[in-house]
Amino acid sequence: MSVHRRTFLRATGVSLALPWLDMFAPRALAGESLKPNRRMVCICTPLGLHPPDFFPEKTGNDYELTTYLNVLKDFRGDFTVVSGLAHAGMSPGFAHQASASFLTGIQGAGRPGFRNAISLDQFAAEKIGGQTRFSSLALSGEGAGISWTRTGALMPASTSPSKVFAKLFLDGKLEDVKAQVTRLEDGRSILDDVRDEAKSLRSNLGADDRDKLDEYITSVRELEQRLVRDETWAKTPKPKVNVPPPQDIPNAADLIGRTRLLFDLSHLALQTDSTRLITIMLAGSTYAPPIPGVSLGHHDLSHHGKDPDKLSQLKIVEVETMKTLRDFLAKLKQSKEASDTLLDRTTVFLGSNLGDGSSHSVKNLPVLLAGGGFKHGQHLHFNEDNPPPLCNLYVSMLQRLGIETDKFSTSTGTLTGLDQVS
Amino acid sequence: MTLRQFVPTRRRAIIVVVGVVGCCLGTTGPSVRTADPDPDRASESASTFLKQHCQSCHSGNKPKGNFRVDSLTQDFDSRVNRDKWLTVLEQVKSGAMPPKEKPRPPVQDAKALTNWISERVEQVGAAQGRVGLRRLNRAEYENTIRDLLGVEIDLKDVLPADSATNGFDNSAESLHVSSFLMEQYLEAADKVLDAAIVNGPKPWMIKKRFDIKDEKSVKPKGSVYRHLEDAVAIFSSWVSANIQVTLWNFFTHFRGNYRFRISAYAFQTDKPVTFHVTAGTFGAVTEERIIGYFEVPPGKPTVIEFTDQLEAKNFARIVVDGLGVTPPVIEKAGAEDYKGPGLAVQWIDIEGPLHDTWPPPSHRKVFGNQPQGPASTAEDKSRVEVVSKQPIADAERLLKDFMRRAFRRAVTDDEVKPVLARVKAKLDAKASFETAMRTGLKAVLVSPGFLFLREKPGKLDDFALASRLSYFLWSSMPDDELLRLAEQGKLNNPDALRQQVERMLNDSKAHAFTENFVGQWLALRNIDATAPDPSLYPEYDDILKVAMVKETTLFFDEVLKNDLSLTNFVASDFTMLNGRLAEHYGIPGVKGMEFRKVTLPKDSHRGGVLTMASVMKVTANGTTTSPVLRGAWVLDRILGTPPPKPSVDVEAVEPDIRGAKTIREQLAKHRERAECASCHAKIDPPGFALESFDVIGGWRENYRSVGKGDPAIVNGRTMRYKKGLPVDAADVMPHGQKFQNIDEFKQLLLKDKDQLARALTEKLLSYGTGAAPGKADRTEVDAIVARVQPKNYGLRSLVNEIVQSKLFQQK
Repeated sequence: MSVHRRTFLRATGVSLALPWLDMFAPRALAGESLKPNRRMVCICTPLGLHPPDFFPEKTGNDYELTTYLNVLKDFRGDFTVVSGLAHAGMSPGFAHQASASFLTGIQGAGRPGFRNAISLDQFAAEKIGGQTRFSSLALSGEGAGISWTRTGALMPASTSPSKVFAKLFLDGKLEDVKAQVTRLEDGRSILDDVRDEAKSLRSNLGADDRDKLDEYITSVRELEQRLVRDETWAKTPKPKVNVPPPQDIPNAADLIGRTRLLFDLSHLALQTDSTRLITIMLAGSTYAPPIPGVSLGHHDLSHHGKDPDKLSQLKIVEVETMKTLRDFLAKLKQSKEASDTLLDRTTVFLGSNLGDGSSHSVKNLPVLLAGGGFKHGQHLHFNEDNPPPLCNLYVSMLQRLGIETDKFSTSTGTLTGLDQVS
Repeated sequence: MTLRQFVPTRRRAIIVVVGVVGCCLGTTGPSVRTADPDPDRASESASTFLKQHCQSCHSGNKPKGNFRVDSLTQDFDSRVNRDKWLTVLEQVKSGAMPPKEKPRPPVQDAKALTNWISERVEQVGAAQGRVGLRRLNRAEYENTIRDLLGVEIDLKDVLPADSATNGFDNSAESLHVSSFLMEQYLEAADKVLDAAIVNGPKPWMIKKRFDIKDEKSVKPKGSVYRHLEDAVAIFSSWVSANIQVTLWNFFTHFRGNYRFRISAYAFQTDKPVTFHVTAGTFGAVTEERIIGYFEVPPGKPTVIEFTDQLEAKNFARIVVDGLGVTPPVIEKAGAEDYKGPGLAVQWIDIEGPLHDTWPPPSHRKVFGNQPQGPASTAEDKSRVEVVSKQPIADAERLLKDFMRRAFRRAVTDDEVKPVLARVKAKLDAKASFETAMRTGLKAVLVSPGFLFLREKPGKLDDFALASRLSYFLWSSMPDDELLRLAEQGKLNNPDALRQQVERMLNDSKAHAFTENFVGQWLALRNIDATAPDPSLYPEYDDILKVAMVKETTLFFDEVLKNDLSLTNFVASDFTMLNGRLAEHYGIPGVKGMEFRKVTLPKDSHRGGVLTMASVMKVTANGTTTSPVLRGAWVLDRILGTPPPKPSVDVEAVEPDIRGAKTIREQLAKHRERAECASCHAKIDPPGFALESFDVIGGWRENYRSVGKGDPAIVNGRTMRYKKGLPVDAADVMPHGQKFQNIDEFKQLLLKDKDQLARALTEKLLSYGTGAAPGKADRTEVDAIVARVQPKNYGLRSLVNEIVQSKLFQQK
């Protein structure tokens, strides 16, 4: 089989300096055993979190626990809550569409001429993604995800935990594996053909159209490279986990149930080192979730108009969301890797494109950062009328992953006051 | 605005993109700072402007906002460089740059600079073509597959939704490709080929009469059902408590079309009774879809007949609507003695999957009459596959025909050759003929020739024109007639085009035009984005929602079909109603589920799309209305003058429905601020005029409140909400004309019919060509408007004039 692959590589001119080769190198040789594997999970709650129940009044280490943070009280030393941050240059209007900018920092989503750019996780995946079976995972409780490619295309996010589980942990029967390998080989040869076709079209086009076609050619080439990786991985047995496969929740109204499944799956993926980068878009359903005391959908509750009944229902839903996060953090903390807990090595970032779902404000975004090897336990406050860009936090997160960069999107530096554990 | 907020990063990202694919970075041209004296004075003054007002901060090693004006070049062909200039344009035009604390440049200098930039950008646009290389979006892909392969297949699980710019998701600039999307296209190709090609005998068919008495849940005693001699009467359904008639005895083993015939009548009433039929796996609320609403009169049983495509493993369900009682009421009275109205269902005939021929047309669209031979596997002994005695010759013939249709143009032997070579390679590797062919077909379905609309700069050739036309009016590929005309070079003349437009609009495929254009122009696609609060809007339900959307699409169809004036979209003396919607609007004399054209009473406050329930719903959330959002919506969608982006520093108003303050009072502070006032003078008037309509498009004199207010009594019943503060829909237009209410407001809008036509022309051009017309195209847009003006601004005439226009016929 390997001869076959090499023949193919020569034939198609795919560069042999592919990241997948890295994984054949023993860890020690690659120098990885010296440094712990760092991971990152970015979570977007698309309707924000009701600000008075989330943000504490006091700053520093002895801030008071608000309704939502109280849910996480056992982890007080493991997280930092940040207030006042916003993406640079964002304006209200199209506030929901701004979830496209959540991890990219690019303004103007939903407006003419908007072109997105690479998201935080994909930026990291370009650097460290080659070390695991999946360079990253994009998940969603409902609808589109929050990961974007370098060309500004939305990455499809999986809404099916059972399918992702199967991809991560279930080895097919021998003939299935064979069929899969054949399918991947076919896929590669097809891509090779269409790439040639695209190249021949290129000569007749204006500069803009050439850019578009080049985007296609690049996409095809990247996919070819990924399929080569996939083929190798297809022949490598998958890690075994001691839990039954999850059952998807077809009921879109059950956003808490769906969130729980995604978090459980993420924990397994991180624990088995199947990937180190995960993005999760939580559901913000229009339907009323099956939670006692809640009769309206989350989106409608977020437009509460200060109706006390709606506010109390909103609180119920969001407290439930915080509970799922608490349990996720607990699982990460219980898992060990070398002398650390998995949480120590995993930056869990929960945030939103909305600062206030009711007014559709895009200022003072809720930010909660847990684990990963930062000095936690504080409420870090910034003046919401003149805050540093949210992307400064992203640079801090990238550096924590061991990626040498001092710039991401609109950043002007790292986030002041957030320090790494030495 | 501070410098920190000046963000050119987006452009930087593009530099990297282009860098990856090996394009020149455009930094080689003469930079403005060091430029040789340019003969063009405008260019020189642009250079002077940048030197005077920008360069001190935006140059050197640490430029502010990481943007260097000294990296700008005159090379406008380079997208990277052009985008940088557009950033300058955006910043100077909005006044964000130079920053407040710096000296202001003279207005005429700033204007000269921005004009110069837009002219240069447009010149490039003219040479390259206005519309970029356009990928099929998901809806177009699905429809194209339907017409190419004869399979209707839902690919929402496989292909991601497309993002929209300029309000439409077929906009060339927003349709990107990524390696992930390519992977999805490979998967989609497998899925559609699996659906099109059959490998077995004709599936067995259900043909059975179902009696709902046989369903266990339809108990004869202590329920909401009464077993009659000739039928079962259903007195109530309660979906949330699962009190509904599910045909568990019916189950689809295969996907396909199923014919339903339901015999029923209205029982114990002299009025018709409404019900709806759903299908799905019923695993959850989202796994059920409504097939349709129906009604039957009292007296002799009526047979309702319909055919619908069902997926495999589906059940069906009958739910009665609007009988006004909940099951406990009937259970208390006893279904045997209950005197109220019900739906009597006699029998349900279901037949399917329906196949007139086997193999089905989809299979023959790929393989023609190529014979099948046995190809059994361990799991499937009866499996067959397409076979060939002369595989290469057959493959070449089949591929040529398939590629011509898939690429929507004549294909050359050189184009077929590599695909054929791939098939041959598979055959040489001992793959079966069908397997080898599938590889070739899959290659065609992920190739740029299939996925992109190929248009060359200048006047479109006949094939490109055929595609542009068919994706405009059908959201799908050209049919045989269009392709034949293109092959003969006969499409490109005014009469032929006019004939084709008429033929295409009369074809049922034109419903895609209404669905996709109106669905986005009037945002009907967002109808489910919010669900109205049931305690505030107890009268809202799914029947009303479905009726709302239908009114708007039928109204558009009516205007289009009869070439009625597009001013009807602002004010009309008719609309399309059924009983449910008429009741919602308070219009008497319309009964039943059927929609019809209704002449509106003088005091109805309806007519036109603005006051339709659908539009009022999609421009509100489930709880509150915002004059700002609705006003901005009217400016963008109807007047074609979208407001600029709001200032970053201003917080949005937080809605409050506790009844103490109206939205007008809450907004007042905002409007007083100087930096907000100029835009809000334009945005707010339409929004205030529409305040007379609540979040579900009902007419209101008072807000509904959850706090303060008098009791609200409807039909003798006290509602859970209170009667809140009165609505004030009066305001003043930016030019000073006053209006008291929505009716007067509509009349003010009608004063500038050309502007209404211009706005709609621009929307239709954006949608019809995949790119919004730019400033340079204004003359051509005005020419189109001038041509429809004498035709009373007829919508069908407008569609024709758009197709005849240069903007449509050139790339």
